[in-house]
Amino acid sequence: MTERAIGIDLGTSNSVIAVIDRDGMPRILTTEEGSTMMPSLVWYTSDGPRVGDAARPGLDEAPDLTIFGAKRLLGRRFDHPEIRRLARLLPYELVEAPNGDTWIQLSAGKAVSPEEVCALILRELRRTAEAFFKAPVTKAVITIPAWYDAAQRQATKDAAQIAGLSVMRLLSEPTAAALGYGAHRGADCKYLVCDLGGGTFDVAAVDVAKGVFEVLATTGDPFLGGDDVDRAIVEHLVRDVRQTRGLDVTMDAIAVEKLRLGAQRAKHELSTHQHADVQIPELAQLPSGKAVEYVKRLARADVETWAASTVERLEAPICEALARANRTPDEMQDILLVGGMTRMPTVRREIERVLGRAPSVIENPEEVVAVGAALEVARLQGAISGILLVDVAARGISVSRGQGECERVIHQSAVVPTREHRVFPSRMDNQARLEFDVWEGESPTPAENRHLGRYAAVDLPEAVAGDVLVLLELTLDTDGTLRLGATEMVSSERLQLEQVFHAGLSRADVSRLARQLAEGS
Amino acid sequence: MAPSRTLHVRLGTWDQVEVFATKKLRRGKLLSMKVPFAAEAGGKLTLGLELPNGVVIAIDSIVQKTSPVDGTQSSGKTWIELELTGFTPEVVERIKKMQAGLEHGTPTSAAVPVPPVGKEDSSPTLTPANTPPPVAELAPRRRTNNSMAPLQVPPPTDERSQFQELTTELRRMRTLAVHEVLGVAPAADANEVRAGWMALVQRYHPDLYARFAAPAITHLAEELMILVNRAYDRLRLALVAEGRALSAGSVLHQPPGWLVGWDDIASARADGEPTRPRMASSQMPPLSLTTAQTAPPASAVQGGEAFEVRARAMLGEGNPDNAQEVLAAALCVYPRSRPLRSLYYVASALGAIAKGEVMLATSQLETALAHYEQCSEAAALLEHVRRTGTVETSEMRRLFT
Repeated sequence: MTERAIGIDLGTSNSVIAVIDRDGMPRILTTEEGSTMMPSLVWYTSDGPRVGDAARPGLDEAPDLTIFGAKRLLGRRFDHPEIRRLARLLPYELVEAPNGDTWIQLSAGKAVSPEEVCALILRELRRTAEAFFKAPVTKAVITIPAWYDAAQRQATKDAAQIAGLSVMRLLSEPTAAALGYGAHRGADCKYLVCDLGGGTFDVAAVDVAKGVFEVLATTGDPFLGGDDVDRAIVEHLVRDVRQTRGLDVTMDAIAVEKLRLGAQRAKHELSTHQHADVQIPELAQLPSGKAVEYVKRLARADVETWAASTVERLEAPICEALARANRTPDEMQDILLVGGMTRMPTVRREIERVLGRAPSVIENPEEVVAVGAALEVARLQGAISGILLVDVAARGISVSRGQGECERVIHQSAVVPTREHRVFPSRMDNQARLEFDVWEGESPTPAENRHLGRYAAVDLPEAVAGDVLVLLELTLDTDGTLRLGATEMVSSERLQLEQVFHAGLSRADVSRLARQLAEGS
Repeated sequence: MAPSRTLHVRLGTWDQVEVFATKKLRRGKLLSMKVPFAAEAGGKLTLGLELPNGVVIAIDSIVQKTSPVDGTQSSGKTWIELELTGFTPEVVERIKKMQAGLEHGTPTSAAVPVPPVGKEDSSPTLTPANTPPPVAELAPRRRTNNSMAPLQVPPPTDERSQFQELTTELRRMRTLAVHEVLGVAPAADANEVRAGWMALVQRYHPDLYARFAAPAITHLAEELMILVNRAYDRLRLALVAEGRALSAGSVLHQPPGWLVGWDDIASARADGEPTRPRMASSQMPPLSLTTAQTAPPASAVQGGEAFEVRARAMLGEGNPDNAQEVLAAALCVYPRSRPLRSLYYVASALGAIAKGEVMLATSQLETALAHYEQCSEAAALLEHVRRTGTVETSEMRRLFT
């Protein structure tokens, strides 16, 4: 039986799988429940994790064990200000991993990495696809936000590897959207893609000329999305509960979670209707044991007022993307709105106001990214020809030695794949190891960059100081992940690189987790 | 001396062919060169002239003069002067034809078609206006044609020959300079660089080889792509730094408007700063309309003097808006020049005064002084504006002329 490959849109709140049929038509695979989207949820129950729709009850029953939005935590440092903010808001607990990454605390002494959570989601998606094909699925194209840094890209790859999927390509979501929307249209076009999903906002200027897709500029807000609107609604509902029922539910995580679900449902309904009801049969219990029912009618206008502070934040990334692409809104030939949140009328209005023109209407804003990923699969398998994607490095890569300043090696917007090198002479006689740090970012001050890892070239030959020259090669591959290689220049021998510190999981961890997950299933 | 001795002369680009024909040869026939053997006057030599398209032309020659290098025979090296008897007008004609023929096949700018598109597709309409028309004579051509352009034949389909082709190509490209990798002239402009890169992307992008599912081939393609991308990035950064191109993401395009013509100022700099070698004055495109008239003053400090002179003239004519535009463009090129910055704000202030916005004008003049304290015009104008609240045209003339 042949092994199949799928396109995955791994979203903050929902994930979508798409494949290209034999007749060349993209098809969205449905879950067992018949939905085209699978919620990106994992509920760690006492008898193993439940994923997707099966984990939905967990949001009500055990919010501290039901992980949603793990994508936002992927490859993030625990001391990142937005993580600090999220840590206060999320019903589950975040902890700092030994290497400074963000992990999720499930119970005392048990913490999981976001990679493992995402791996469970990916495995569930893989199972869905395998049920559809009745054949093993081993490869996938996974979409990621364009602003993902090297650590986050690596974390996504690790998650896929744990789930038993080899990543054919990490595809940036705006590019995927342009591909999914524009590939069959064929004509040359200049797209502006605005992707507002559950947790992230991406803007990209994508040019298509003679089948070559080029990203001119990408900007975004990694912590702006539908969740923020949900939270704004919940805040008002909590206040309303206090005023009308005399109950303070702010400390009641379960009640807040129920309100969040109700708010989300109402928000979806308000995209098409002027009014929607939030109905929660058992919001909380009175001391007497009597359940409190909560019903509230929400008007679209009210929700739009509450969401205004979120919607306002859309303008800056859009303007910045246009400025970086040297374009005016009129020069963009097509404006694509992607992601479920763009169904919200106020979001559409705001984007229209900023750009001064109406965006294109896409029938399936949630699915077009997955379709793009599926087209990428077909393209890499040679089923589609005439399309090429050209991408650039989202951020520069710098290298520093000891306490010194960072030196830029790969500059921002270098076309990937690319490779640059630096030569480090030894500083002491008979120096056996030479340590250096790799950073993402172009600032000379290390603190302003993202630390990707500290590495050491070991087993250097014995020589006086300065006679050993280590040639360090940094390769940024097509996925935007970084590979390192070191050579001793005098003997031109490959040197072993030892990871002293590194962001994300280690190779050993990844293969161990992958084995565990494979055995568990 | 063996009469059958052949000297192999390799000319990698058509530029080199031109240089050979025009500069190296004296009176069209005589060639001086150093050879690693002792030669005698009157002896015969054959020159194997390898052209960029791989054709080798044998040219008979007679040694006219010899003189040993270092004055001794022991080194074995000799300076000789050859008379190329075989370099007849017919041969020259043949070379020209070959060059013209190649030009027709690979236009420098139009993207090289992907396999299914044939040679005949590269119609002249695809070439941008700046590409010179295919000319037959050797001498006046400036831009080289592209001997490094990817082959026009469709890539082989079987893995083995694919592997071999990529290996050969990689080995060849590793020895080339960045502009040679992209197959463009050293002084190529943004459009040419981008076209050269795009053609190679469409040929060697690793994704095009993913269907072989052969790691070795994908790896080779990736290595090739790394070389190509790096060459593109180097040239791209250089062009952007020179102000000859704008870049967004991987896209490179020429700056709009008259800024394209500022080369002449750079080359005519009076100070000791080295002018860019690729902008030798003989290779200058015709001077653009707007910057041609102004001669840069001798007291060059931070560059952009021609702009300054021009802007001052405009300010003197009472045309602050145009001056501001000129200065804005100048600042793209010389962003660090303090006099230009202050003058920009002065122009902005004068524009504000013309519209009666005295408050704005004052703040702009103050900004001008903050950027460059020695800006006497700004100081004088500020003084004047504070006193009278407006500026007379005569006052402006006095300041700027």
